[in-house]
Amino acid sequence: MESSKIVPLLKRLGLNTYNVDKKSHIEVNTDICINCKDKPCTVSCPAGTYEALPDGRIAVHYERCLECGGALVICPFGAIKFRFPEGGISYRYG
Amino acid sequence: MSFDADVIIVGGGLSGLSAGITAVREGLNVILLERGEYSGAKNVSGGRMYVHALKRLIPDALERAPLERPITKETFEIFCDKNRKITFSFEEKDKKNSFSVLRSKFDRWLASEAENLGLLISYSTLVLNAYREGEGITLETNRGTLKAPLIIDASGVTSVVFRLLGLRRFTPDKWMLGVKEIIKTDVNLPENEGEVRTIVGAIKGVKGGGFVYTNKDTLSVGMAVTFDSLPKSEFPAKDLVEAFRERIGIEGEVLEYSAHAIPYYGFKNLPPLYDKNLIAVGDSAGFLINDGFTIRGMDLAIGSGMIAGLAAKKIVESRNFSNTEVYYEMLKDSFVLKHLELAYNRFELINSPSTLSTYPEILCNVLSDMFTVEENRDTLINDVLYRLKEKGIPLSQAVRDLWKAVK
Repeated sequence: MESSKIVPLLKRLGLNTYNVDKKSHIEVNTDICINCKDKPCTVSCPAGTYEALPDGRIAVHYERCLECGGALVICPFGAIKFRFPEGGISYRYG
Repeated sequence: MSFDADVIIVGGGLSGLSAGITAVREGLNVILLERGEYSGAKNVSGGRMYVHALKRLIPDALERAPLERPITKETFEIFCDKNRKITFSFEEKDKKNSFSVLRSKFDRWLASEAENLGLLISYSTLVLNAYREGEGITLETNRGTLKAPLIIDASGVTSVVFRLLGLRRFTPDKWMLGVKEIIKTDVNLPENEGEVRTIVGAIKGVKGGGFVYTNKDTLSVGMAVTFDSLPKSEFPAKDLVEAFRERIGIEGEVLEYSAHAIPYYGFKNLPPLYDKNLIAVGDSAGFLINDGFTIRGMDLAIGSGMIAGLAAKKIVESRNFSNTEVYYEMLKDSFVLKHLELAYNRFELINSPSTLSTYPEILCNVLSDMFTVEENRDTLINDVLYRLKEKGIPLSQAVRDLWKAVK
């Protein structure tokens, strides 16, 4: 598989400068997630913020967020409540 | 009711700063709120700016702005399948119509220009809520509450003020995800030359394409694909840019990994551009053009920002803050809406399913036939007709689409 050379996500995220908020700026109503089979959020977020748990709920790694804004459109069931963080990422190139 | 300013601008990117610079030049009392620690901290773009609007905003910008390279070469690459690819290049040396840019550097520079002109920018200021109150709009921020009779929403694709007032409904087919890496590499080009590569079909399943822009001593490598196509992608969003980079064979140290949503509405699907006491500029207004030749948002951001600044002056003078239609009237007369309308035919064509997959495949099949010698050989036109028919595309549709592409 050619993807073996892919630089892992966490290593790439580690290159960025973050000032992580104490509280998450993303809330997920995971009661909705239990009935969601496909879990599109897990493949649509460029920061891998949403992780499917064995019980069908979603764990939110908000500290990884790249603040693209996609959270506002990736959940067809409206389970994600998103606002921008107060701190968050500072891009050096952009 | 007392206001904190004539105008509050939300967002210190290209559109907000252009609006601020123009409004301050017009003598208005303006506050600009930027949620980043500096302008550009939160901004990502593919990385190419057509500079006609920038030159209108700051006439000597080309001598002073931190631009990377002039784009003197356009390359299009269409992957039909693993083994077949169409490549097309056009070079025009000494051209200075567009430049690669890195927004964290560029926006920071533009913000300092704006501050030198007297624009008040409040950094690390995040709008948390917005509501109508009295004759204006009140913004709750992490640093306190601010009120103004006129708000310019320059907050980017998520249009925070419009959204908080219930004036936006977003869908995953009308937004693209942009993912990008800055790659450290030796750029083997003279400093007054730069290349843009636009690459389609390298990653299967997604609707969109990839790009490589030459910066001074780095490359911007990335993809832009619609959010609704991501669940069908060969690779999850988090690995998209790496898979793309691998497939086109670009090596080098990754310096930054970034992502940003991109508005992808098209002229006929634009969201509301103004409301009482409120106008939208740049990405917040959904201004993006993809006409197959040019993909652009930054000049539209600067242009619409400048118009918003001029419109704000008229609105403040009229004292009728609920009538913001003057902004729309001015936009209609400007390149911003005119170019969006001009681009719409091809925008629609590019977005029809046959354009990015079926037509390239047919073209590859025809080219393959023409470059192959066997005993059986047909005329070009007969081969084209055969290959169209094979894919179930009637000639009439192909001609209609071709006509759309040139109109």
